[in-house]
Amino acid sequence: MSCGNPHEVPCDEVLAMVYDYLDNECGEEQRHRIVEHLHECGPCLRQFGLEEAVKALVQRSCACATAPEHLREEIVTRIRSVSVTYRVRGVSD
Amino acid sequence: MLLLTPVEAGAVARPSSGIGLGSWAMDDDTADELGEVAAEPTESAEQMAARFERDAMPFLDQLYGAAMRMTRNPADAEDLVQETYLKAYAAFSSFTEGTNLKAWLFRMLTNTYINIYRKKQRQPYQTGTDDLTDGQLHEAESHTSTGLKSAEAVALDRLADTDVVEALAKMPEDFRIAVYLADVEGFSYKEIAEIMDTPVGTVMSRLHRGRKLLRSLLEDYAIERGLIPAGVGDGGDDA
Repeated sequence: MSCGNPHEVPCDEVLAMVYDYLDNECGEEQRHRIVEHLHECGPCLRQFGLEEAVKALVQRSCACATAPEHLREEIVTRIRSVSVTYRVRGVSD
Repeated sequence: MLLLTPVEAGAVARPSSGIGLGSWAMDDDTADELGEVAAEPTESAEQMAARFERDAMPFLDQLYGAAMRMTRNPADAEDLVQETYLKAYAAFSSFTEGTNLKAWLFRMLTNTYINIYRKKQRQPYQTGTDDLTDGQLHEAESHTSTGLKSAEAVALDRLADTDVVEALAKMPEDFRIAVYLADVEGFSYKEIAEIMDTPVGTVMSRLHRGRKLLRSLLEDYAIERGLIPAGVGDGGDDA
């Protein structure tokens, strides 16, 4: 997996952080160290690119769900009927 | 019938019932951040209904999208979302305005799905998740060393949305939900941990394993569609 060149941060360490990096879960300093490594290391960069592509693919494929309009109406109607139930109960209790 | 009647929903709406989701065990910090602090008791039922409609209904499409990925069919997704909204409304008096309503609703959705809905469904991946996926994960690991990553990324990008949705549907649901919450909704690991009621370490492991598995499934689709030549995407070893 390694390109064979020496790096300040070893490849396996960088690869272990691929998801933290892509999910914005690592700190600035860690990010900087990863970016520096990716500038020097083609295999790691490709691996990051692949993981990034999969993440983007999931986003793209699922992002535009639209609930049917009748569902919105049903929910609102039921919420209103629940709040009416409260009021009636409050009066009768 | 899956849905609560209005009276049943009302029965769990007592302000003293805490977060209204008894099974969620959370520490105080978590509870504060997600807004489980008693609201002003002066609000009328109508005012609360109006506030709920104004604040919670805008998340309908997002919750429906997640419900579709959980249940894998529109009719069940609609039932799940409706049930979630009724439960959320019933517990809404315990939610503090201005805190993380989106995470709170997604937690309600996930909880409803896991505790009520899933039991009604046949779930081929429900048990033995870890055992089942170890083999597939091992296979997925072997995919990572073909040395054709850029070409592969391009090929995956050309997959149809329906293939990606199908691949997601094949994943064990814990993996599927974690990946969905991270990639589509952009929740942080900490938020996903709260939504799925699990430690952050478990979230990271689910994401790690889920994504590896997903990539393996996507590569299979890419090969099937002729986007990656057979023999390159699967079974390739270090060059």
